[in-house]
Amino acid sequence: MNQSLSFIRDLGKHREASVLAMLAAVAIYLSFASDYFLEPRNLLNVGRQASVVAIVALGQALVIIARGIDLSVGSVIGLSAVVGAVLMRDTGSETIGLVGGLATGLACGVVNGLLYTRFRINPFIATLGTLSIARGIALLMTGGIPVPFGGFAEFVGAGRIHNIPVSFLLMIVLAIIVHIFAVRTVTGREIYAIGDNPKASRLAGVNIHYIRLFVFALCGLLAGLGGLILAGNLASADPNLGMGYELDVIAAVILGGTALSGGRGSIIGVIIGALLMALLNNAFVLLGISAYWQVVTKGLVIIFAVGLDGLQRRGDDD
Amino acid sequence: MYSKGATTAAGSKSVAGSSSCGPLLRARGIAKSFAGNTVLHSVDLDLHAGEVVGLLGENGAGKSSLMHILSGGLHPDSGTIEMDGQPTQIGTVSDGIEAGISFVHQELSVIGALSIAENLHLGRMPTTKRGFVDFGRMRSEAGALLSRVGASGIDPRREAGTLRAGEQQLIEIAKAAGRNPRLLILDEPTSSLTPHEVEGFFAYVRAARAAGTAIIFITHRLEEVLSLCDRLVVLRNGAIVSERRPAETTRQQLITDMTGKPAIYEYRQRQLRETTLALSLRQVCDSDHLENISFDVREGEIMGLFGLVGAGRTELLEVIHGARPLASGEMALFGTPVRHRDPSAAVRNGIALVPEGRKTAGILPQHSVRENAAISSLRRFSGTLFSDRKGDVTRMEVYRHRLGIRMARDTQPISTLSGGNQQKVIFARALMADPRILLLDEPTHGVDVGAKSDLYEIVVREAERGLTVLIASSEVPEILALCDRVAILSKGRLAGILSREEMSEDRILTMAFKEH
Repeated sequence: MNQSLSFIRDLGKHREASVLAMLAAVAIYLSFASDYFLEPRNLLNVGRQASVVAIVALGQALVIIARGIDLSVGSVIGLSAVVGAVLMRDTGSETIGLVGGLATGLACGVVNGLLYTRFRINPFIATLGTLSIARGIALLMTGGIPVPFGGFAEFVGAGRIHNIPVSFLLMIVLAIIVHIFAVRTVTGREIYAIGDNPKASRLAGVNIHYIRLFVFALCGLLAGLGGLILAGNLASADPNLGMGYELDVIAAVILGGTALSGGRGSIIGVIIGALLMALLNNAFVLLGISAYWQVVTKGLVIIFAVGLDGLQRRGDDD
Repeated sequence: MYSKGATTAAGSKSVAGSSSCGPLLRARGIAKSFAGNTVLHSVDLDLHAGEVVGLLGENGAGKSSLMHILSGGLHPDSGTIEMDGQPTQIGTVSDGIEAGISFVHQELSVIGALSIAENLHLGRMPTTKRGFVDFGRMRSEAGALLSRVGASGIDPRREAGTLRAGEQQLIEIAKAAGRNPRLLILDEPTSSLTPHEVEGFFAYVRAARAAGTAIIFITHRLEEVLSLCDRLVVLRNGAIVSERRPAETTRQQLITDMTGKPAIYEYRQRQLRETTLALSLRQVCDSDHLENISFDVREGEIMGLFGLVGAGRTELLEVIHGARPLASGEMALFGTPVRHRDPSAAVRNGIALVPEGRKTAGILPQHSVRENAAISSLRRFSGTLFSDRKGDVTRMEVYRHRLGIRMARDTQPISTLSGGNQQKVIFARALMADPRILLLDEPTHGVDVGAKSDLYEIVVREAERGLTVLIASSEVPEILALCDRVAILSKGRLAGILSREEMSEDRILTMAFKEH
């Protein structure tokens, strides 16, 4: 018992490696269990499914590293898609639609950031509020009826370059940019610092209000992009789009080794976490298991991931 | 001169009126080290029923470690503890409480959202026959406990969070008193009490002594131990260096025992060439605590900021550093009026702070030594969007030598360094930002004597290079060792400024008590 606990704790210390191992294990199992799994079409599909969660998780990871949390990303996905589609329908301009969708995401992020930094509302509560508000606005704007969304958004969401989904390529490019941003830039390093010890960082001269506002704004922007991809893929912006996505996104971030207590986490881990979530979804489809079990399993995976974190940090609390 | 060997016999003689058999508690050869750092070398200590022992020593002398070992919070590496002549294993704090040992910590652990009565009965609340909490009984018992420790004026129904720090301290003492301990350990119990509260608390200690409780009283206030204690034990660098009777010793002798020399660090007379005013404060007020504080600090000067707990030292530094809003008044930096909204603005303007509370406000525990040192100067050395990582390595190397930071690699987590070395890294962080004014808030709290004099050396050296230093301290010897002048605060007001020639421990303390 003790031995297995310490083994799990060791696993927790190299979280990227352990999540990668889990990813490999699931993949190997599936390649035996399903003839269809290794088909390029299926693999690319998994990549496409992972891309939206991963792109939004990039922003969420920075928020969590800075010791915040953004519960509103699922609703922001929906609202951005709806605003983009409605603007495109009403103006007839694809550009206005796309820019409007992204701007909506950014605006939601800025609102979250201001609620936190200016009005000192705990981000858990503030984003719980915007979760509801953004979803409500999306429903009000459409009367609950999906809006058609085609053109460039459809290319980003469903298109392929050399047979590789555009959204998957976008995920890779963004992951590289955010990774370099997080480890190399001054702002990136300050994000880690304020997550580790906000009081000490503030006294050391880090502008914590600016950094917090920045991470929430970026998270909102990426959620907006996620909304455009998701709606483009379906060629339609459903006001209920992205419902429940916050769970997948936060799970991917935590699975990837980011500490909910802040200050620790890597972008590579987040991407692996998102791929693992997509692979699990794929597994249920391929193995023909009830989608209801999928919901249960998602919860179990989250508890397992956070449990790893708790075991590893056990010494700190006692 | 030291009477270490003879204590056992001498100690029992002082016990007036209690049984003449052996000591209540006998500790022998207690040793403890942390990560190769020895904090206690084979300490022997006897405690008798009905005796008040004053435990003196500098920060880092080993007082807390010793008390944690006696109360079960720490395991000694070697040594034995006997109670009533029987060898005892005090494995945990609850074992200690079981054995009748209560430790009132310096850090308050009152639960703010509960009433005082509930706080006093935590873990042992009385219940009615039906199994509900018996509030009436709890209240009357709480009232009785409070009047025992001289706090009868406090209503036990009040929420504990609404109490002042001093009142909360009395609650902690009442909590311990409620257990009727055989050995009561009090760590700096009077630091936040008013003189009136101190009197009531002393009356409780005397009553407990008469009832046969052994009491260990830790404090930095020498007058208090001299008037209250039966025996004074001085720890230095983890060993007992003297045991004395209050009637047969003096303050000066105790200070010498504690520091090993008349003064830990000799003040060096410095000629201030500069007449430029680095910092001037005019009628500075914050929203609740500071009132009309005005003084100037010259370039290259080391200015002390002394005051008792609650005098406003930290608050004033926070105002200067932008962490606390300036409600009214003016502040000028080298003749230019400034008003900082945030510490980030102050750091850009050349004001760096080494904050009080290394763990809570200083270190980034999950970051490496190098990252910890660089955090204040990231923006300064980054020409572009990207941080200057090569430069960070070079600068760390420079400051490692300049401040004598002992570490294996600069990529090791800062939490693996000793307290003194961590504090040096925080100094390095502040100095890397190339400040014009360095604010130090209790810079040597909780660091050992060696690191302390290193830090003093650093402060003086930087001042000689022209850095202006403002150092807030609650330790008079620290002020005397370092400062060219000292501003004394009392209850949020400036009680006075003393120049080097006028400075003495008595005058500083008298001024600090002025408003009390």
